[in-house]
Amino acid sequence: MKKNIHNFYICCIAFVCALVLSSFVRTSQQKEQIFLPYKKAGLTEQQAAAHLLSRFTYGAKEGDIELVTKMGLEKWLKQQLEGNLEDTALNRMLDKFDAINLTNTEVENVFPRNAQVVRFAVRDGYIHKDSVNKANGKEYRATLANYMKEKGIKPQQELYRQFINQKILRATYTNNQLKELMTDFWFNHFNVALSKNQCASYIPAYERDVIRPNVFGDFENLLLSTAKSPAMLMYLDNFSSTGTNIPVNEYGEDMMMTGQQKRKGKFAAQVAKAKIPQIKNKKSGLNENYAREVMELHTLGVDGGYTQSDVTQAARILTGWTIAPMGDNGYGAPMKKIMESAGDDKLKKRGFVHDGDFLFVMNRHDNGEKTVLGQKFPAGGGYEEGVALLEMLAHHTSTAKFISKKIATRFVSDNPPQSLIDKMAKTFLSSNGNIKSVLITMVSAPEFWSPNALREKTKSPFEFAISAVRSLDAKITQPYQLYTWINKMGQQMYYYQAPTGFPDRGQYWINTGSLLNRMNFGLALASQRIPGVTFNLAAMNNNHEPESAEAALLIYSKKIMPERKLDETIARLKPMLNDPNLEGNVAKAASQTAPPQQQNTMANEDANIMEQSADKAKLKGKKALLNSTPNQKAGTNTMLAQVVGVIIGSPEFQRK
Amino acid sequence: MTSRRGFIKAGGLALFGISLGGIPGFLADAVAGTVAPGLFKKKKIMVCIFQRGAMDGLMAVTPFTDQYLKAVRPNLFMSAAQGGKEKSLIDLDGRFGLHPSMSAFEPMFREKRMAIVHGIGSPNNTRSHFDAQDFMESGTPFNKGTASGWLNRAVGLLGHEAATPLQAVSLTSSLPRSFYGDNPAVAISNLADFNIQLRGNQAGANMASKSFEDLYDQTSSSLLKNTGKESFDAIKLLQKTNVKDYKPEYNAVYPTSALGNSLKQIAQLIKMDVGMEVAFAESGGWDTHFNQGTDTGIFARNVNDLSNSIMAFWTDMGKYQDEVTVMTMTEFGRTVAQNGTGGTDHGRGSCNFILGNSVNGGMVHGLMNPLAKENLEDGRDLAVTTDFRAVFSEVADKHLGIHNDKVLFPDWSGKQIGVMKGV
Repeated sequence: MKKNIHNFYICCIAFVCALVLSSFVRTSQQKEQIFLPYKKAGLTEQQAAAHLLSRFTYGAKEGDIELVTKMGLEKWLKQQLEGNLEDTALNRMLDKFDAINLTNTEVENVFPRNAQVVRFAVRDGYIHKDSVNKANGKEYRATLANYMKEKGIKPQQELYRQFINQKILRATYTNNQLKELMTDFWFNHFNVALSKNQCASYIPAYERDVIRPNVFGDFENLLLSTAKSPAMLMYLDNFSSTGTNIPVNEYGEDMMMTGQQKRKGKFAAQVAKAKIPQIKNKKSGLNENYAREVMELHTLGVDGGYTQSDVTQAARILTGWTIAPMGDNGYGAPMKKIMESAGDDKLKKRGFVHDGDFLFVMNRHDNGEKTVLGQKFPAGGGYEEGVALLEMLAHHTSTAKFISKKIATRFVSDNPPQSLIDKMAKTFLSSNGNIKSVLITMVSAPEFWSPNALREKTKSPFEFAISAVRSLDAKITQPYQLYTWINKMGQQMYYYQAPTGFPDRGQYWINTGSLLNRMNFGLALASQRIPGVTFNLAAMNNNHEPESAEAALLIYSKKIMPERKLDETIARLKPMLNDPNLEGNVAKAASQTAPPQQQNTMANEDANIMEQSADKAKLKGKKALLNSTPNQKAGTNTMLAQVVGVIIGSPEFQRK
Repeated sequence: MTSRRGFIKAGGLALFGISLGGIPGFLADAVAGTVAPGLFKKKKIMVCIFQRGAMDGLMAVTPFTDQYLKAVRPNLFMSAAQGGKEKSLIDLDGRFGLHPSMSAFEPMFREKRMAIVHGIGSPNNTRSHFDAQDFMESGTPFNKGTASGWLNRAVGLLGHEAATPLQAVSLTSSLPRSFYGDNPAVAISNLADFNIQLRGNQAGANMASKSFEDLYDQTSSSLLKNTGKESFDAIKLLQKTNVKDYKPEYNAVYPTSALGNSLKQIAQLIKMDVGMEVAFAESGGWDTHFNQGTDTGIFARNVNDLSNSIMAFWTDMGKYQDEVTVMTMTEFGRTVAQNGTGGTDHGRGSCNFILGNSVNGGMVHGLMNPLAKENLEDGRDLAVTTDFRAVFSEVADKHLGIHNDKVLFPDWSGKQIGVMKGV
């Protein structure tokens, strides 16, 4: 009985707390009352909605503008900034991918690197070491495949394929579009690359656990989580950065120690002797890569006012920040047992910090005094001084400016006005670096709605492909096919080698080769020649067949590019469509079989996939030939596809 | 942007139907004398081949008199002495022997058109493929944040406006790190792809092509407009010849490998006179941890492909040979000692090959101390005695006339080592 009363009180307290908390939430929401000054800029509500959609989503779907205006632009934006709309349909698609929810440790166990697999197979006696790379490739491969099957090991490529596929599906189908855009933005800001083998397998978890949950939060959380993530620690080499750790009593602090501390010191010496956390240290020494990039690329910016000495000192502060051993065969596996036997408690007492996949190794940490940007970090700061350093960087005025400019460049224009950057930077500093607040400041500024900003950004190949697919309301069953195209158009997703991330300006994306591939993508997509991407063009027009090519152009260009000035586009295309020979040409074209030249066009690139698709395309071509004589309808459908292809490949559709 | 405009100025806008397969407008202009004649003068071309995976320089060009090497490579060491049961090394100078599968290179070396640099590598001792390639391609071995690649900077230093969108071409599916940057650079994996395509529907493709050309011509975005023009002019350039039915000259036979295919297309571009000055290709499979082999096996196959591809290209170049220099590069070398699985692990210094008529050939450049433990880097690897930037900058300087090393390799202040003939 007493217990029940006790529970009752606890419930009451919890309820009251919840009330109090929720009222806080409400007031903070009220504080974030959004006002979008588009009318002042001379935009109609529809035009403003179109602009908002083209910047804060991966492209408007049909009907989106009506939806947003009906709901109210401010309300829609608020929902997007919360980023917690249901995503049932998307989640169902993602259920198929069994690898994307694994922890880093699970990934290490299931998807070891190829060379590792071979080593394990040799170790376990499945293949003889001399047979590696030997002539009988077939048998060797079969043995290896069998070994992998027995051990539940899968090829790494499968992990990356699922990872890439999930990004394409999320971008296309999530209701939380802005959250996905921001995930892309921050991933690119804190770039890591699948092309660096050693960190590649940590990257799916990096995006999922480090980036995505933090995209609207305080900047310092993002910075600290990336700093501690295995992917970043490996990508910029900090995991290996080592300093000299002088035992505390050699600093002459022995005198000040209590008896208990002395005992601990003695214990520590024993631990050190027993080599407890002596992580194998092939190349000992300071590595400045991360310390430099965290200032140059992640926080202050290259002109942010730091010196080489600041870089070196920061690197010293971050020595000992490394990756915790994980997996039975994965990174630091030999260390795992030793650490387990020592136990987290003992390690903690020694100043170690073990937080998930992160490990701070005290005896690899340089515990001398350092000074960064004029701030002194006294000797013996341990793990905490690294946190303090990152917090200092996260709140620096240079960081506020640098991050604000980068966000404005992403969402407003390649050269955002300084007045806008200043407003955003001010909010950054006054809101503890709260990203949501910075975004709200940005859209509340007239600069966001200025005529100079409209359609000023060029879609990246990824944005271009996804916006095309969204505008056609396509069903994607083979996302990887889109990846291949996006790569051809110049954006090898997740493989940008440099820590700068992809440059965010139209000039980078638009060059001779990539532009041509954008046009070809439009044609291939619209004619449904990209396997696994299907849609119903007729359904977009209520199954009403356009009267003529010109009518098709008018109807579909408005649907695909709503609220755009299309007079010029239409005027330019009309003569082509009014060509009296058009029908005949199209009909003839539809009855043609694939010319032989097309077969080798995809050689060298993703050979397997593309061969498959080529085969399928050939099959399709044959079927079409069997099923339809070039009658009026077939001709019109081909024509319609062609019109839509040209619209997607047109310059207007490259802009957002 | 100015360089782009240069091309547009020269290009003019020929109507699609007329110019497709015909002479591009600006070539006609050039012929008619309306364009400065210097603009389309044949340019020097530097062809770079990146051997990804780290080539074992000690097996490619072996110091065969070195007893230490013989001792630590019991299963990999090859002799230059004739008459053994395996093919012997090609004795180049009494000290170094060329791998027998690279015999195609021998005449070039004897004719002093080919130079070899041994002990070449990066001052940064990373043994990570990724980091080492990254540093070699950015040209800044201690700075990860360098946004541009050294070949892109080289394009910017050529000292004249780009006359063509094809000034720098990489025969890869995506832009290599070396090509990152603001100067025009294109990745094309297959020249035949470089067109408006609609599978199985040529008429449709032609129509779409005309539509696109018109649309891009009218667009208000100057970036899209200019690049659109460049693209269609480039298509026309490439359509001058039938790229699919290319016939190499002088009986050159390209291996049917990725590298052979890339070099063949580079040869096509050179002969088409599209204004290319920097070309890039890749060769893979050099990460030989397992059963590297000796006169046969994986390494032998790789060097065979490398040398035969390059020599087919060189032969095919014929009268263009004076214009072309070919340079290979690899991110690092491999351990001096063989490992437990008949291969070699990641090391430091490797070697590279430079081929061309203005190369200071016929010798092995660089410094290689006798391979004793105390002479090895970290007690295990061939020491890097020549900074790759010394060689890259010299080739760029003497062949392409790029003198500004401060821009090309910002943190480097070393000396060239004489791999090219003095001018």
